[in-house]
Amino acid sequence: MSMCSKWIVAAFAGAMALCAQDAPFDPHSSIDIKLPPDSPVALLSTNVRDSGATQRGGAMVIDLHMALSLRNSDSRTIRGITLLVTAQEVTAGGKASVAVPSLNVAPGQAFPVRIDLRLLRPLQAGAGPLVQVSLDGVLFEGLDFYGPNRLNSRRSMTVWEMEAERDRRYFKSVLASAGPEGLQREMLSSLARQDERPHIDVRMSRGRSVTSVGEPERMARFAFLKMPGAPVEAIDGWAEVAGNEARTPTIQVVNRSARPVRYVEIGWIVKDRQGREFLAGSVPAAEGDLLLPPGQTGRVLQDTALRFSRNAGEPVAIGSMTGFVSHVEFADGRVWVPGRKALSAVMAPSPEEQRLADLYRTKGVGAVVEELRKY
Amino acid sequence: MSKHPSEANLALFAGGELSLWRRWGVKRHVAECAACRDAVDEFLALREQASGMAELPDVAWDSMAAEMRANIRLGLEAGECVTERSSPRHLGFSLRGVAACASLAMLLVVSFLIERPAPRVAELKTDDAAVIETSGSGIQVMEGGRSLMLLNAHAHTVDYQASGSAMGARYVDSDTGQVTINNVYVQ
Repeated sequence: MSMCSKWIVAAFAGAMALCAQDAPFDPHSSIDIKLPPDSPVALLSTNVRDSGATQRGGAMVIDLHMALSLRNSDSRTIRGITLLVTAQEVTAGGKASVAVPSLNVAPGQAFPVRIDLRLLRPLQAGAGPLVQVSLDGVLFEGLDFYGPNRLNSRRSMTVWEMEAERDRRYFKSVLASAGPEGLQREMLSSLARQDERPHIDVRMSRGRSVTSVGEPERMARFAFLKMPGAPVEAIDGWAEVAGNEARTPTIQVVNRSARPVRYVEIGWIVKDRQGREFLAGSVPAAEGDLLLPPGQTGRVLQDTALRFSRNAGEPVAIGSMTGFVSHVEFADGRVWVPGRKALSAVMAPSPEEQRLADLYRTKGVGAVVEELRKY
Repeated sequence: MSKHPSEANLALFAGGELSLWRRWGVKRHVAECAACRDAVDEFLALREQASGMAELPDVAWDSMAAEMRANIRLGLEAGECVTERSSPRHLGFSLRGVAACASLAMLLVVSFLIERPAPRVAELKTDDAAVIETSGSGIQVMEGGRSLMLLNAHAHTVDYQASGSAMGARYVDSDTGQVTINNVYVQ
Protein backbone atom coordinates (compact mmCIF):
# COMPACT_ATOMS: atom_id res chain seq x y z
CA MET A 1 0.00 0.00 0.00
CA SER A 2 1.37 3.43 -0.87
CA MET A 3 1.84 6.15 1.73
CA CYS A 4 -1.03 8.12 0.21
CA SER A 5 -3.39 5.14 0.40
CA LYS A 6 -2.43 4.56 4.02
CA TRP A 7 -3.33 8.16 4.85
CA ILE A 8 -6.70 7.78 3.08
CA VAL A 9 -7.48 4.55 4.99
CA ALA A 10 -6.43 6.16 8.28
CA ALA A 11 -8.60 9.20 7.60
CA PHE A 12 -11.57 6.98 6.68
CA ALA A 13 -11.15 4.88 9.82
CA GLY A 14 -10.97 8.06 11.89
CA ALA A 15 -14.15 9.37 10.29
CA MET A 16 -15.94 6.07 10.98
CA ALA A 17 -14.79 6.14 14.57
CA LEU A 18 -16.19 9.65 14.93
CA CYS A 19 -19.49 8.57 13.35
CA ALA A 20 -19.90 5.51 15.62
CA GLN A 21 -18.95 6.43 19.13
CA ASP A 22 -20.14 5.29 22.52
CA ALA A 23 -22.75 7.59 23.96
CA PRO A 24 -23.52 8.17 27.66
CA PHE A 25 -26.23 5.72 28.61
CA ASP A 26 -27.75 4.48 31.84
CA PRO A 27 -29.37 1.10 31.25
CA HIS A 28 -31.11 1.01 34.64
CA SER A 29 -33.10 4.19 33.97
CA SER A 30 -33.88 3.00 30.43
CA ILE A 31 -35.81 -0.07 31.59
CA ASP A 32 -39.07 -0.14 33.50
CA ILE A 33 -40.09 -3.59 34.78
CA LYS A 34 -43.62 -3.72 36.15
CA LEU A 35 -45.17 -6.72 37.85
CA PRO A 36 -48.72 -6.61 39.26
CA PRO A 37 -49.06 -6.54 43.05
CA ASP A 38 -50.61 -10.03 43.07
CA SER A 39 -48.07 -11.42 40.59
CA PRO A 40 -47.16 -15.10 41.12
CA VAL A 41 -43.55 -14.23 40.25
CA ALA A 42 -41.29 -11.75 42.05
CA LEU A 43 -38.32 -9.93 40.58
CA LEU A 44 -35.17 -10.80 42.49
CA SER A 45 -32.58 -8.97 40.38
CA THR A 46 -31.89 -7.38 37.00
CA ASN A 47 -28.48 -7.60 35.41
CA VAL A 48 -27.83 -5.20 32.52
CA ARG A 49 -24.06 -5.53 32.57
CA ASP A 50 -23.36 -5.76 28.83
CA SER A 51 -25.79 -3.04 27.74
CA GLY A 52 -24.63 0.07 25.94
CA ALA A 53 -25.44 2.79 23.43
CA THR A 54 -23.60 3.82 20.28
CA GLN A 55 -24.13 6.97 18.27
CA ARG A 56 -24.21 6.37 14.52
CA GLY A 57 -24.65 9.54 12.55
CA GLY A 58 -27.98 11.05 13.56
CA ALA A 59 -29.21 7.88 15.22
CA MET A 60 -28.62 6.03 18.46
CA VAL A 61 -28.22 2.25 18.62
CA ILE A 62 -29.02 0.88 22.06
CA ASP A 63 -28.20 -2.68 23.05
CA LEU A 64 -30.08 -3.83 26.12
CA HIS A 65 -29.12 -7.18 27.58
CA MET A 66 -31.30 -7.99 30.56
CA ALA A 67 -30.84 -11.06 32.68
CA LEU A 68 -33.82 -11.16 35.02
CA SER A 69 -33.94 -13.42 38.01
CA LEU A 70 -37.53 -14.26 38.98
CA ARG A 71 -38.87 -16.32 41.87
CA ASN A 72 -42.02 -18.43 41.88
CA SER A 73 -43.98 -16.87 44.74
CA ASP A 74 -47.06 -19.00 44.06
CA SER A 75 -47.97 -22.36 45.57
CA ARG A 76 -48.15 -24.06 42.15
CA THR A 77 -45.36 -25.22 39.83
CA ILE A 78 -44.76 -22.85 36.92
CA ARG A 79 -44.73 -24.38 33.41
CA GLY A 80 -44.28 -21.23 31.33
CA ILE A 81 -44.06 -17.45 31.42
CA THR A 82 -44.58 -14.70 28.83
CA LEU A 83 -43.28 -11.15 29.26
CA LEU A 84 -44.54 -8.24 27.16
CA VAL A 85 -41.87 -5.84 25.90
CA THR A 86 -42.87 -2.43 24.55
CA ALA A 87 -40.83 0.52 23.34
CA GLN A 88 -43.45 3.12 22.46
CA GLU A 89 -40.88 5.81 21.72
CA VAL A 90 -39.16 3.59 19.17
CA THR A 91 -42.02 1.82 17.43
CA ALA A 92 -45.46 3.27 18.08
CA GLY A 93 -47.33 0.17 16.94
CA GLY A 94 -44.66 -2.42 17.52
CA LYS A 95 -44.40 -4.63 20.53
CA ALA A 96 -42.58 -7.81 21.40
CA SER A 97 -42.76 -10.71 23.80
CA VAL A 98 -40.34 -13.14 25.32
CA ALA A 99 -41.79 -16.49 26.35
CA VAL A 100 -40.12 -19.34 28.18
CA PRO A 101 -42.14 -22.56 27.91
CA SER A 102 -41.25 -26.04 29.23
CA LEU A 103 -40.36 -24.76 32.68
CA ASN A 104 -40.58 -26.84 35.83
CA VAL A 105 -40.22 -24.24 38.59
CA ALA A 106 -41.39 -25.38 41.98
CA PRO A 107 -42.84 -22.90 44.53
CA GLY A 108 -40.12 -20.70 46.01
CA GLN A 109 -37.57 -21.57 43.31
CA ALA A 110 -35.80 -18.89 41.27
CA PHE A 111 -35.40 -19.03 37.50
CA PRO A 112 -33.75 -16.78 34.88
CA VAL A 113 -35.33 -15.01 31.89
CA ARG A 114 -33.10 -13.27 29.36
CA ILE A 115 -34.25 -10.37 27.18
CA ASP A 116 -31.83 -9.13 24.52
CA LEU A 117 -32.94 -6.05 22.61
CA ARG A 118 -31.51 -3.67 20.05
CA LEU A 119 -33.21 -0.33 19.52
CA LEU A 120 -32.54 2.21 16.81
CA ARG A 121 -33.92 5.69 17.41
CA PRO A 122 -33.07 9.33 16.61
CA LEU A 123 -30.65 11.14 18.91
CA GLN A 124 -33.33 13.48 20.21
CA ALA A 125 -35.40 11.41 22.59
CA GLY A 126 -38.07 12.04 25.16
CA ALA A 127 -37.66 11.57 28.88
CA GLY A 128 -38.58 8.37 30.69
CA PRO A 129 -37.67 4.72 30.24
CA LEU A 130 -37.09 3.40 26.74
CA VAL A 131 -38.38 -0.09 27.32
CA GLN A 132 -41.25 -1.32 29.45
CA VAL A 133 -41.36 -4.97 30.51
CA SER A 134 -44.55 -6.37 32.00
CA LEU A 135 -46.10 -9.74 32.70
CA ASP A 136 -48.51 -11.11 30.12
CA GLY A 137 -49.07 -14.50 31.63
CA VAL A 138 -47.90 -17.40 33.75
CA LEU A 139 -48.98 -21.00 33.10
CA PHE A 140 -49.02 -23.45 35.98
CA GLU A 141 -49.06 -27.20 36.20
CA GLY A 142 -52.61 -28.35 35.43
CA LEU A 143 -52.94 -25.56 32.81
CA ASP A 144 -54.06 -22.90 35.31
CA PHE A 145 -53.26 -19.41 34.10
CA TYR A 146 -52.55 -16.01 35.60
CA GLY A 147 -52.12 -12.73 33.72
CA PRO A 148 -53.72 -10.00 31.61
CA ASN A 149 -53.29 -12.19 28.48
CA ARG A 150 -53.01 -9.22 26.09
CA LEU A 151 -50.99 -11.34 23.63
CA ASN A 152 -53.16 -14.46 24.00
CA SER A 153 -50.25 -16.09 25.75
CA ARG A 154 -52.68 -18.37 27.62
CA ARG A 155 -53.47 -20.26 24.42
CA SER A 156 -49.87 -20.34 23.16
CA MET A 157 -48.51 -21.60 26.48
CA THR A 158 -51.31 -24.16 26.79
CA VAL A 159 -50.46 -25.49 23.29
CA TRP A 160 -46.74 -25.71 24.17
CA GLU A 161 -47.50 -27.46 27.46
CA MET A 162 -49.83 -30.00 25.80
CA GLU A 163 -47.18 -30.71 23.16
CA ALA A 164 -44.62 -31.04 25.96
CA GLU A 165 -46.80 -33.55 27.84
CA ARG A 166 -47.33 -35.51 24.58
CA ASP A 167 -43.59 -35.65 23.83
CA ARG A 168 -42.53 -36.50 27.38
CA ARG A 169 -45.08 -39.33 27.33
CA TYR A 170 -43.58 -40.58 24.07
CA PHE A 171 -39.95 -40.40 25.24
CA LYS A 172 -40.84 -42.10 28.53
CA SER A 173 -42.48 -44.92 26.58
CA VAL A 174 -39.34 -45.24 24.43
CA LEU A 175 -37.21 -45.32 27.58
CA ALA A 176 -39.45 -47.97 29.11
CA SER A 177 -39.49 -50.15 25.99
CA ALA A 178 -35.98 -49.66 24.51
CA GLY A 179 -33.96 -48.34 27.44
CA PRO A 180 -31.42 -45.47 27.34
CA GLU A 181 -30.08 -46.74 23.96
CA GLY A 182 -33.55 -46.36 22.42
CA LEU A 183 -33.88 -42.89 23.93
CA GLN A 184 -30.43 -42.02 22.58
CA ARG A 185 -31.50 -43.06 19.06
CA GLU A 186 -34.60 -40.84 19.39
CA MET A 187 -32.50 -37.89 20.51
CA LEU A 188 -30.01 -38.34 17.66
CA SER A 189 -32.86 -38.64 15.18
CA SER A 190 -34.45 -35.45 16.56
CA LEU A 191 -31.17 -33.52 16.35
CA ALA A 192 -30.68 -34.71 12.74
CA ARG A 193 -34.22 -33.61 11.80
CA GLN A 194 -33.64 -30.20 13.38
CA ASP A 195 -30.35 -29.78 11.52
CA GLU A 196 -31.90 -30.81 8.20
CA ARG A 197 -34.79 -28.37 8.44
CA PRO A 198 -34.11 -25.54 6.00
CA HIS A 199 -33.64 -22.16 7.63
CA ILE A 200 -35.43 -19.43 5.80
CA ASP A 201 -35.44 -15.68 6.31
CA VAL A 202 -38.89 -14.13 6.23
CA ARG A 203 -39.95 -10.53 5.69
CA MET A 204 -43.50 -9.69 6.68
CA SER A 205 -45.67 -6.64 6.12
CA ARG A 206 -49.32 -5.99 6.80
CA GLY A 207 -51.65 -5.83 3.79
CA ARG A 208 -50.05 -5.85 0.37
CA SER A 209 -46.37 -5.94 -0.39
CA VAL A 210 -44.34 -2.82 0.31
CA THR A 211 -42.40 -3.25 -2.91
CA SER A 212 -43.11 -4.90 -6.21
CA VAL A 213 -41.40 -8.23 -6.81
CA GLY A 214 -41.69 -7.82 -10.57
CA GLU A 215 -43.03 -11.32 -11.22
CA PRO A 216 -46.51 -12.14 -12.51
CA GLU A 217 -49.03 -12.76 -9.78
CA ARG A 218 -51.01 -15.98 -9.64
CA MET A 219 -53.54 -17.53 -7.32
CA ALA A 220 -52.04 -20.68 -5.79
CA ARG A 221 -54.21 -23.31 -4.10
CA PHE A 222 -53.29 -25.14 -0.92
CA ALA A 223 -53.05 -28.90 -0.71
CA PHE A 224 -53.89 -30.23 2.76
CA LEU A 225 -52.41 -32.89 5.00
CA LYS A 226 -54.96 -35.01 6.84
CA MET A 227 -54.32 -34.82 10.58
CA PRO A 228 -55.81 -37.88 12.32
CA GLY A 229 -58.21 -36.93 15.08
CA ALA A 230 -58.32 -33.23 14.14
CA PRO A 231 -61.64 -31.68 15.21
CA VAL A 232 -61.40 -29.23 12.32
CA GLU A 233 -60.66 -30.03 8.68
CA ALA A 234 -59.25 -27.61 6.12
CA ILE A 235 -61.22 -28.06 2.89
CA ASP A 236 -60.01 -25.33 0.53
CA GLY A 237 -57.47 -22.55 0.50
CA TRP A 238 -55.53 -20.19 -1.68
CA ALA A 239 -53.00 -17.34 -1.60
CA GLU A 240 -51.71 -14.75 -4.06
CA VAL A 241 -48.21 -15.75 -5.09
CA ALA A 242 -45.62 -13.76 -7.05
CA GLY A 243 -42.06 -15.05 -7.17
CA ASN A 244 -40.87 -15.45 -3.58
CA GLU A 245 -43.81 -13.61 -2.08
CA ALA A 246 -47.13 -14.97 -0.82
CA ARG A 247 -49.99 -12.72 0.16
CA THR A 248 -53.31 -12.95 1.93
CA PRO A 249 -53.60 -16.70 2.54
CA THR A 250 -57.24 -17.70 2.94
CA ILE A 251 -58.37 -21.13 4.15
CA GLN A 252 -61.83 -22.61 4.54
CA VAL A 253 -62.34 -24.95 7.46
CA VAL A 254 -65.18 -27.11 8.71
CA ASN A 255 -65.79 -28.15 12.32
CA ARG A 256 -66.03 -31.97 12.34
CA SER A 257 -66.33 -32.20 16.12
CA ALA A 258 -69.36 -32.10 18.38
CA ARG A 259 -68.09 -29.02 20.26
CA PRO A 260 -68.00 -25.38 19.15
CA VAL A 261 -64.55 -24.13 18.11
CA ARG A 262 -63.29 -20.58 18.70
CA TYR A 263 -59.78 -20.68 17.25
CA VAL A 264 -57.94 -22.63 14.54
CA GLU A 265 -54.36 -22.34 13.38
CA ILE A 266 -53.26 -23.79 10.04
CA GLY A 267 -49.59 -24.68 9.56
CA TRP A 268 -48.23 -23.46 6.24
CA ILE A 269 -45.61 -25.48 4.37
CA VAL A 270 -44.09 -23.98 1.22
CA LYS A 271 -42.25 -26.01 -1.42
CA ASP A 272 -39.78 -24.10 -3.56
CA ARG A 273 -39.23 -24.75 -7.29
CA GLN A 274 -36.37 -27.15 -6.50
CA GLY A 275 -38.75 -29.29 -4.42
CA ARG A 276 -37.38 -28.30 -1.00
CA GLU A 277 -40.02 -27.89 1.68
CA PHE A 278 -39.96 -25.50 4.62
CA LEU A 279 -42.39 -24.40 7.28
CA ALA A 280 -43.31 -20.84 6.33
CA GLY A 281 -45.46 -20.14 9.33
CA SER A 282 -49.07 -20.48 10.25
CA VAL A 283 -52.36 -18.88 9.36
CA PRO A 284 -54.28 -18.11 12.53
CA ALA A 285 -57.94 -17.24 12.80
CA ALA A 286 -58.41 -13.59 13.67
CA GLU A 287 -59.11 -13.17 17.38
CA GLY A 288 -62.83 -13.13 18.11
CA ASP A 289 -63.71 -13.58 14.45
CA LEU A 290 -64.27 -17.31 14.44
CA LEU A 291 -66.89 -19.24 16.35
CA LEU A 292 -67.59 -22.49 14.56
CA PRO A 293 -70.54 -24.51 15.79
CA PRO A 294 -70.36 -28.27 15.06
CA GLY A 295 -70.64 -29.00 11.32
CA GLN A 296 -70.27 -25.36 10.28
CA THR A 297 -67.68 -23.95 7.87
CA GLY A 298 -65.65 -20.81 8.40
CA ARG A 299 -62.79 -18.92 6.87
CA VAL A 300 -59.31 -18.29 8.25
CA LEU A 301 -57.37 -15.51 6.58
CA GLN A 302 -54.31 -13.42 7.17
CA ASP A 303 -53.89 -9.93 5.73
CA THR A 304 -50.13 -10.05 5.40
CA ALA A 305 -47.49 -10.42 2.72
CA LEU A 306 -44.59 -12.81 3.39
CA ARG A 307 -41.38 -12.83 1.39
CA PHE A 308 -38.95 -15.73 1.69
CA SER A 309 -35.20 -15.75 1.15
CA ARG A 310 -32.16 -17.72 2.20
CA ASN A 311 -28.40 -17.16 2.32
CA ALA A 312 -28.70 -13.45 3.08
CA GLY A 313 -31.16 -12.37 0.43
CA GLU A 314 -31.32 -15.12 -2.21
CA PRO A 315 -35.07 -15.31 -3.11
CA VAL A 316 -36.85 -18.63 -2.54
CA ALA A 317 -39.37 -18.91 -5.38
CA ILE A 318 -42.64 -20.46 -4.25
CA GLY A 319 -43.68 -23.59 -6.16
CA SER A 320 -46.57 -25.03 -4.16
CA MET A 321 -48.14 -24.82 -0.70
CA THR A 322 -49.49 -27.31 1.80
CA GLY A 323 -51.56 -26.64 4.90
CA PHE A 324 -52.35 -28.68 8.00
CA VAL A 325 -54.35 -28.09 11.16
CA SER A 326 -51.71 -27.36 13.79
CA HIS A 327 -53.98 -26.69 16.76
CA VAL A 328 -57.57 -25.95 17.67
CA GLU A 329 -59.10 -24.20 20.66
CA PHE A 330 -62.64 -25.10 21.66
CA ALA A 331 -65.12 -22.55 23.00
CA ASP A 332 -64.60 -23.91 26.54
CA GLY A 333 -60.85 -23.09 26.38
CA ARG A 334 -59.61 -26.65 25.89
CA VAL A 335 -57.00 -27.16 23.20
CA TRP A 336 -56.34 -29.93 20.64
CA VAL A 337 -52.83 -30.60 19.31
CA PRO A 338 -51.85 -33.29 16.73
CA GLY A 339 -50.48 -36.64 17.83
CA ARG A 340 -46.75 -37.39 17.30
CA LYS A 341 -47.48 -39.89 14.51
CA ALA A 342 -49.11 -37.18 12.40
CA LEU A 343 -46.04 -34.94 12.49
CA SER A 344 -43.77 -34.84 9.44
CA ALA A 345 -40.09 -33.94 9.29
CA VAL A 346 -40.80 -30.47 7.90
CA MET A 347 -42.90 -29.49 10.93
CA ALA A 348 -41.14 -27.82 13.82
CA PRO A 349 -40.45 -29.98 16.88
CA SER A 350 -42.19 -28.96 20.07
CA PRO A 351 -40.26 -26.63 22.42
CA GLU A 352 -39.95 -29.57 24.86
CA GLU A 353 -38.43 -31.88 22.22
CA GLN A 354 -36.03 -29.07 21.30
CA ARG A 355 -35.06 -28.67 24.96
CA LEU A 356 -34.56 -32.39 25.60
CA ALA A 357 -32.54 -32.85 22.38
CA ASP A 358 -30.34 -29.90 23.35
CA LEU A 359 -29.91 -31.39 26.82
CA TYR A 360 -28.77 -34.64 25.16
CA ARG A 361 -26.36 -32.70 22.91
CA THR A 362 -24.74 -30.87 25.84
CA LYS A 363 -24.98 -33.38 28.73
CA GLY A 364 -25.70 -36.81 27.25
CA VAL A 365 -28.49 -39.36 27.54
CA GLY A 366 -28.17 -39.69 31.32
CA ALA A 367 -29.26 -36.08 31.79
CA VAL A 368 -32.31 -36.67 29.56
CA VAL A 369 -33.29 -39.76 31.54
CA GLU A 370 -32.90 -37.76 34.76
CA GLU A 371 -34.99 -34.93 33.34
CA LEU A 372 -37.83 -37.23 32.25
CA ARG A 373 -38.00 -38.74 35.74
CA LYS A 374 -38.90 -35.32 37.17
CA TYR A 375 -42.31 -35.42 35.47
CA MET B 1 -39.09 20.22 -64.74
CA SER B 2 -39.58 22.85 -62.01
CA LYS B 3 -37.89 22.70 -58.59
CA HIS B 4 -39.29 20.06 -56.14
CA PRO B 5 -41.85 21.51 -53.71
CA SER B 6 -41.06 21.15 -50.00
CA GLU B 7 -42.47 18.19 -48.08
CA ALA B 8 -44.71 20.53 -46.10
CA ASN B 9 -46.20 21.91 -49.33
CA LEU B 10 -46.74 18.38 -50.68
CA ALA B 11 -48.58 17.46 -47.45
CA LEU B 12 -50.72 20.61 -47.65
CA PHE B 13 -51.40 19.87 -51.32
CA ALA B 14 -52.58 16.35 -50.46
CA GLY B 15 -54.94 17.84 -47.91
CA GLY B 16 -56.24 20.48 -50.31
CA GLU B 17 -54.98 23.24 -48.05
CA LEU B 18 -52.68 25.19 -50.37
CA SER B 19 -53.56 28.56 -51.77
CA LEU B 20 -54.89 28.63 -55.32
CA TRP B 21 -51.66 29.87 -56.92
CA ARG B 22 -49.38 27.45 -55.08
CA ARG B 23 -51.77 24.57 -55.68
CA TRP B 24 -51.56 25.22 -59.42
CA GLY B 25 -47.76 25.21 -59.31
CA VAL B 26 -47.50 22.05 -57.19
CA LYS B 27 -50.10 20.33 -59.34
CA ARG B 28 -48.06 21.01 -62.46
CA HIS B 29 -44.89 19.66 -60.81
CA VAL B 30 -46.57 16.53 -59.41
CA ALA B 31 -47.99 15.71 -62.85
CA GLU B 32 -44.42 15.53 -64.19
CA CYS B 33 -42.50 14.15 -61.12
CA ALA B 34 -43.05 10.54 -60.12
CA ALA B 35 -41.21 10.92 -56.76
CA CYS B 36 -43.38 13.83 -55.62
CA ARG B 37 -46.48 12.02 -56.90
CA ASP B 38 -45.56 9.04 -54.69
CA ALA B 39 -45.05 11.35 -51.73
CA VAL B 40 -48.48 12.91 -52.29
CA ASP B 41 -50.03 9.42 -52.57
CA GLU B 42 -48.44 8.50 -49.23
CA PHE B 43 -49.83 11.61 -47.58
CA LEU B 44 -53.28 10.78 -49.02
CA ALA B 45 -53.05 7.21 -47.71
CA LEU B 46 -51.99 8.48 -44.28
CA ARG B 47 -54.87 10.92 -44.28
CA GLU B 48 -57.32 8.12 -45.04
CA GLN B 49 -55.86 5.97 -42.29
CA ALA B 50 -56.16 8.80 -39.84
CA SER B 51 -59.78 9.44 -40.74
CA GLY B 52 -60.51 5.70 -40.37
CA MET B 53 -59.06 5.54 -36.84
CA ALA B 54 -61.24 4.92 -33.85
CA GLU B 55 -62.77 7.85 -32.12
CA LEU B 56 -60.56 10.00 -29.97
CA PRO B 57 -60.54 9.32 -26.26
CA ASP B 58 -63.46 10.66 -24.38
CA VAL B 59 -62.49 14.24 -23.63
CA ALA B 60 -64.87 16.92 -22.52
CA TRP B 61 -63.94 19.28 -25.36
CA ASP B 62 -66.78 21.70 -24.73
CA SER B 63 -65.96 22.17 -21.08
CA MET B 64 -62.25 22.39 -21.86
CA ALA B 65 -62.88 25.03 -24.53
CA ALA B 66 -65.11 26.97 -22.15
CA GLU B 67 -62.44 26.74 -19.46
CA MET B 68 -59.77 27.92 -21.89
CA ARG B 69 -61.90 30.85 -23.00
CA ALA B 70 -62.61 31.77 -19.39
CA ASN B 71 -58.95 31.58 -18.49
CA ILE B 72 -57.91 33.67 -21.48
CA ARG B 73 -60.57 36.23 -20.65
CA LEU B 74 -59.42 36.27 -17.03
CA GLY B 75 -55.85 36.72 -18.16
CA LEU B 76 -56.79 39.57 -20.44
CA GLU B 77 -58.79 41.28 -17.72
CA ALA B 78 -55.93 40.82 -15.28
CA GLY B 79 -53.65 42.37 -17.88
CA GLU B 80 -56.05 45.29 -18.22
CA CYS B 81 -55.91 45.86 -14.51
CA VAL B 82 -52.14 45.88 -14.21
CA THR B 83 -51.39 47.75 -17.44
CA GLU B 84 -50.76 51.45 -16.99
CA ARG B 85 -52.46 53.36 -19.84
CA SER B 86 -49.61 55.78 -19.97
CA SER B 87 -46.94 53.15 -20.20
CA PRO B 88 -44.52 53.75 -22.99
CA ARG B 89 -45.11 51.83 -26.22
CA HIS B 90 -41.45 51.01 -26.73
CA LEU B 91 -41.55 47.95 -24.41
CA GLY B 92 -40.75 44.69 -26.21
CA PHE B 93 -43.90 42.99 -24.89
CA SER B 94 -47.12 44.07 -23.29
CA LEU B 95 -48.25 43.08 -19.81
CA ARG B 96 -51.51 41.94 -21.38
CA GLY B 97 -49.60 39.44 -23.47
CA VAL B 98 -47.60 38.24 -20.46
CA ALA B 99 -50.77 37.68 -18.47
CA ALA B 100 -52.35 35.78 -21.34
CA CYS B 101 -49.23 33.59 -21.69
CA ALA B 102 -49.19 32.95 -17.93
CA SER B 103 -52.85 31.93 -18.05
CA LEU B 104 -52.19 29.57 -20.91
CA ALA B 105 -49.19 28.07 -19.14
CA MET B 106 -51.26 27.57 -16.02
CA LEU B 107 -53.99 25.97 -18.11
CA LEU B 108 -51.46 23.58 -19.64
CA VAL B 109 -50.10 22.60 -16.23
CA VAL B 110 -53.59 22.05 -14.83
CA SER B 111 -54.58 20.02 -17.90
CA PHE B 112 -51.46 17.86 -17.52
CA LEU B 113 -52.15 17.25 -13.86
CA ILE B 114 -55.80 16.39 -14.55
CA GLU B 115 -55.01 14.03 -17.42
CA ARG B 116 -52.07 12.26 -15.74
CA PRO B 117 -53.19 8.86 -14.41
CA ALA B 118 -53.11 8.73 -10.62
CA PRO B 119 -50.77 6.12 -9.10
CA ARG B 120 -52.43 3.14 -7.40
CA VAL B 121 -52.21 3.91 -3.73
CA ALA B 122 -52.23 0.24 -2.73
CA GLU B 123 -48.94 -0.43 -4.46
CA LEU B 124 -47.06 2.63 -3.28
CA LYS B 125 -43.88 1.92 -1.38
CA THR B 126 -44.15 3.58 1.97
CA ASP B 127 -41.00 3.63 4.01
CA ASP B 128 -43.04 4.47 7.08
CA ALA B 129 -45.05 1.24 6.91
CA ALA B 130 -44.08 -1.18 9.66
CA VAL B 131 -42.22 -4.23 8.38
CA ILE B 132 -40.91 -7.21 10.31
CA GLU B 133 -37.91 -9.14 9.08
CA THR B 134 -35.68 -11.88 10.34
CA SER B 135 -31.92 -11.98 10.18
CA GLY B 136 -29.16 -14.09 11.63
CA SER B 137 -29.19 -12.06 14.82
CA GLY B 138 -32.91 -11.69 15.51
CA ILE B 139 -36.31 -10.35 14.51
CA GLN B 140 -36.72 -6.68 13.82
CA VAL B 141 -39.74 -4.43 13.42
CA MET B 142 -38.93 -1.27 11.47
CA GLU B 143 -41.09 1.80 11.24
CA GLY B 144 -40.13 5.20 9.84
CA GLY B 145 -36.38 4.84 10.37
CA ARG B 146 -36.73 3.44 13.91
CA SER B 147 -36.48 -0.18 14.84
CA LEU B 148 -36.88 -2.65 17.66
CA MET B 149 -35.01 -5.94 17.42
CA LEU B 150 -35.25 -8.95 19.70
CA LEU B 151 -31.86 -10.62 19.53
CA ASN B 152 -31.30 -14.38 19.49
CA ALA B 153 -28.39 -14.15 21.86
CA HIS B 154 -26.84 -17.44 23.02
CA ALA B 155 -28.66 -19.47 20.32
CA HIS B 156 -27.35 -22.60 18.58
CA THR B 157 -30.03 -22.86 15.87
CA VAL B 158 -33.08 -20.66 15.44
CA ASP B 159 -36.48 -21.47 13.94
CA TYR B 160 -38.42 -18.56 12.52
CA GLN B 161 -42.15 -18.68 12.00
CA ALA B 162 -44.67 -16.06 10.90
CA SER B 163 -48.12 -16.20 12.39
CA GLY B 164 -50.77 -13.56 11.82
CA SER B 165 -49.28 -10.20 12.75
CA ALA B 166 -46.33 -11.72 14.61
CA MET B 167 -42.98 -13.20 13.72
CA GLY B 168 -41.48 -15.68 16.11
CA ALA B 169 -37.98 -17.01 16.74
CA ARG B 170 -37.52 -20.16 18.80
CA TYR B 171 -34.21 -21.38 20.14
CA VAL B 172 -32.55 -23.01 23.11
CA ASP B 173 -30.57 -20.52 25.18
CA SER B 174 -27.16 -22.09 25.52
CA ASP B 175 -26.54 -20.39 28.89
CA THR B 176 -29.74 -21.42 30.65
CA GLY B 177 -30.74 -24.50 28.60
CA GLN B 178 -34.26 -23.03 28.40
CA VAL B 179 -36.29 -22.76 25.22
CA THR B 180 -36.91 -19.10 24.47
CA ILE B 181 -39.63 -17.95 22.08
CA ASN B 182 -39.30 -14.34 20.97
CA ASN B 183 -42.20 -12.72 19.13
CA VAL B 184 -42.32 -9.34 17.46
CA TYR B 185 -45.71 -7.95 16.50
CA VAL B 186 -46.75 -5.42 13.88
CA GLN B 187 -50.01 -3.48 13.82
